Amino acid sequence: MTDREIDEALKRVSQTAHAVEPVLLGCIADSIKASLQPVRRLPPTWILTCGLALICAAVAVAGAARAGFYGVEKMNSLQRTLLFPVLTILVAVAATEFVNAMIPGSLRKLSPSALMATSCVVLVGVLGLLFRDYRTEHFVSAGIICLLTGLLHAIPTGLLCWLMLRRGFAVNSVSAGLVAGTLAGLAGVGVLELHCANFEAAHLLVWHTAVVPVSGAAGAVLAWAVFRQNAIHR
Amino acid sequence: MARYQEGDFAAATALVEGISPQLHRFFVAQLANRSDADDLLQETWLRIHRVRHTYRSGEPVLPWFYAIARHVRVDHYRKAIRTRVREQGLEEIYTAAATVSGKGRPPDDLRDLLAPLPESQREVIEMLKVAGMSLEEVARATSTSVGSVKQKAHRAYRKLRETMSAMGSRKGQSGGQA
Repeated sequence: MTDREIDEALKRVSQTAHAVEPVLLGCIADSIKASLQPVRRLPPTWILTCGLALICAAVAVAGAARAGFYGVEKMNSLQRTLLFPVLTILVAVAATEFVNAMIPGSLRKLSPSALMATSCVVLVGVLGLLFRDYRTEHFVSAGIICLLTGLLHAIPTGLLCWLMLRRGFAVNSVSAGLVAGTLAGLAGVGVLELHCANFEAAHLLVWHTAVVPVSGAAGAVLAWAVFRQNAIHR
Repeated sequence: MARYQEGDFAAATALVEGISPQLHRFFVAQLANRSDADDLLQETWLRIHRVRHTYRSGEPVLPWFYAIARHVRVDHYRKAIRTRVREQGLEEIYTAAATVSGKGRPPDDLRDLLAPLPESQREVIEMLKVAGMSLEEVARATSTSVGSVKQKAHRAYRKLRETMSAMGSRKGQSGGQA
């Protein structure tokens, strides 16, 4: 059996007419007629992506302004010029993927799990490259404070992002939740990099980076719970 | 599609009549019985109607429809599982499934041809070869990458080759015995 024979078999099947009961088609047409009104289309992807990136930047700057810009003030120019552009690129990629997750039939460049993994790997790489203080003082106590701070800022980011794309439709709500969580987590990392003046490499690599997967997982679980709740009520 | 978004009933009816047979065939190919496929088609159109503002002109239209149809199918499948688990024991589910996928259902060429494939490969082959969509369109409809679609299609063809060759050799053997 060759591929061509399989192709021919499939072609034969596809050429046979597949009719749907006219009554059913009439019923469908009637059901949509009742509420057939002009609708306002979603804005283009780039506008939505810019909006999401602006939300992330606004939350990060506002959070750091409230807590103090100690981190960015202590950084040298190399650390500033490398770390923040990388974070911006990651936010832009995550925002684009979130927009794609909320519009059916969009082309996905990265799977949600690959996006989260890539974000973590890139952050670990950049932070590991830029920060060389290998002490581990108050590793857990200081780390948990940073993780919580990052996550606390990820919550409003996630909510605002969801609000912006509330007219979208996620065909896979769990994967959309994972992407939204990753995006919100990156905003949380932004707050930490602007605010946290603890430049110990282990602290940055573990606790700052951990905000992204924890936030992503929380987003996926929340989306799954909401989807399940909605499915039960339907 | 743009006219449908603007509230044109004639355009909506034309879309319902033009797209429905493809979507219906998609549901039937996924081993749903015909009445289930009818229900899924109605549910899909209700969902399409509710989210019609998410289609953007210039984008390919078929992946948008198929993405929503897939969502409805998965939703229906999960709901069916939940209902069955509540109403029956697990053993009864397997018995019921065997009856549905076995002799109890009416014969259908496409369904029989794609039956040996796992669900994810079956839908890719259905979209590529029966609906005539491109690799990129299938990737859009299934929310995956083009590479992943290629891989699934390749695996599906390998599985179909094995199954059809095995069927051919069995036929040959039974013919020889006769």
